[in-house]
Amino acid sequence: MTAILRLESRKRIRSSVVLVVVFALLSALYFSMFPSIEEDIEELMEGFPDFFFDLFGIEALHTIEGFIAAEIYSFFWVVLVGIYFAYIGAGLIAGDVRDRKMDLTLSNPVSRESVALQKVAALWTPLVLLNVGVAVIVYIGAIVIGEHIDPVALTMVHLLSVPYLLVCAAIGLVASVIFDRARSARAMALSLVFVLWLLDGISQLDPDFEWAGVLSPSRYYDETAILVREEYAYPDAVVLLVAFLVLLGVATVIFTRRDI
Amino acid sequence: MAPIEIEDLTKRYGDLAANDAVVFDVERGEIFGYLGPNGAGKTTTIRLLLGLIKPTAGTATVLGADIRDRRALTGVKTNIGYLPDTLGFEERLTGTQVLDHFARMRGDERRAELLDLFRPPLEKPVETYSSGNKRMLGIVQAFMHDPDLVIMDEPTSGLDPLKQDRLHQFLEAERDAGTTIFLSSHVLSEVQRVCDRVGIIRAGKLIALENIDDLLTQSGKNVWVHLEEPVENARFLTDDMIDVEVTGATIQFTYTGDVKTLLAHLVQFEIVDADIGDPQLDDIFKHYYGDEGETDATNEDATREDTTAEVE
Repeated sequence: MTAILRLESRKRIRSSVVLVVVFALLSALYFSMFPSIEEDIEELMEGFPDFFFDLFGIEALHTIEGFIAAEIYSFFWVVLVGIYFAYIGAGLIAGDVRDRKMDLTLSNPVSRESVALQKVAALWTPLVLLNVGVAVIVYIGAIVIGEHIDPVALTMVHLLSVPYLLVCAAIGLVASVIFDRARSARAMALSLVFVLWLLDGISQLDPDFEWAGVLSPSRYYDETAILVREEYAYPDAVVLLVAFLVLLGVATVIFTRRDI
Repeated sequence: MAPIEIEDLTKRYGDLAANDAVVFDVERGEIFGYLGPNGAGKTTTIRLLLGLIKPTAGTATVLGADIRDRRALTGVKTNIGYLPDTLGFEERLTGTQVLDHFARMRGDERRAELLDLFRPPLEKPVETYSSGNKRMLGIVQAFMHDPDLVIMDEPTSGLDPLKQDRLHQFLEAERDAGTTIFLSSHVLSEVQRVCDRVGIIRAGKLIALENIDDLLTQSGKNVWVHLEEPVENARFLTDDMIDVEVTGATIQFTYTGDVKTLLAHLVQFEIVDADIGDPQLDDIFKHYYGDEGETDATNEDATREDTTAEVE
């Protein structure tokens, strides 16, 4: 029974490709800026208060790794792509219930668990397209401007982001089974992912409040550590995977019990 | 075991009982009409039967599976066809892709045959479809896996009269081939035309469950008599005549007694022309809904659908 997986996978292609194109344009912009920024980096950094760098976890901005981690991964990947996954997750169930697609889907010999799991499994399309697409774009972009990014670190920055993005999608999925309208579910999921990211960033500013970000998924994915210091925090990735499975379980249980 | 057995099925939303202790069975190989005005609770019953919503009390079995047993119900859906009232297709797919999608889940051995009868524009995306074309696509997907039981919610809405006739003929052929059909409708003539039995639901309660023929018999005959010249009412009228309307030499009434007695009575008079026929379900509907129905807007909408032979 993979008909739903098949259909849902196809549905994700278009928006994923659009996002890859957005990243290609962003990368082109930043890579073209890097050679000139590299020289004036000290001046540039003085222009911003320190907390700005702490908020985004920016360091070693004068290296291509630090620069790319800061410009592309710490905001666009963690926030934008995180929100994109939360958005998709939030539409998976609520949207179909609302426009009555779910009535027809469930008239087939397919369980609600299977429907939910196939829809989540279909996230492989954006995961693969975005991770492969953006990794290739960044790698080639660095070569074009005469720099070199460690391909292992680059692979890891993408690989270790997969559990993070899955958690974002699962937050969306939980919202999707709770709310009746896709719009409410999306608003809820988007805000939650954004606020949690913000909470993580702000809590890092003061060691006394660092605990406040412990529930933020972004706490367990450190793009700068991976790219600049080549530190791969596997236990953190496991934490995220467990959180993903728990949220998925919760969402599935709610979905199987509710009226649609 | 009957394909559908409903026992005290109840669904409450707060104080409102969308279905209130509904009881009936749908027998194998019959076309059962579930009749009622919009908002009476027809769709609620159907969605309960499919396990989309859970009963507050009571239960039902569909092809032997208890609707509270999700696993069992999912299992029997291989043998169920469903045409919802609102057709939520994947709008960007073409008709062919939609059918392919459902075929992967439950087969499509009768697809070609059905597409000879019902012809939605398969190459076009569903978002460009008219409501009639969507309905046809819905009919094809409901029958293409050759199910034993087909549940249809307002199957003819959006279809032009020609397609409605085609569907009715098709349903009769399916019934004769052993398929059980449960259809809901607020269109009286449709139920009268195609159904073997009918359940009438109003405000969540089943208020009548009859064979169509019995329903018509019990409701008496519509009689129209044109006499050569006006006669005295006292001489002509009997106690079995109700809803009498006299216009000069023409008399219209509903006859609740035996037809032979009526004929024997009529031959005493100089009759120019006479007509004895079954009443429209429309009238029966009013009879069941009675005084309460008079002020019910949805009921008026429902009866407006079929105003042929309005006798008032």
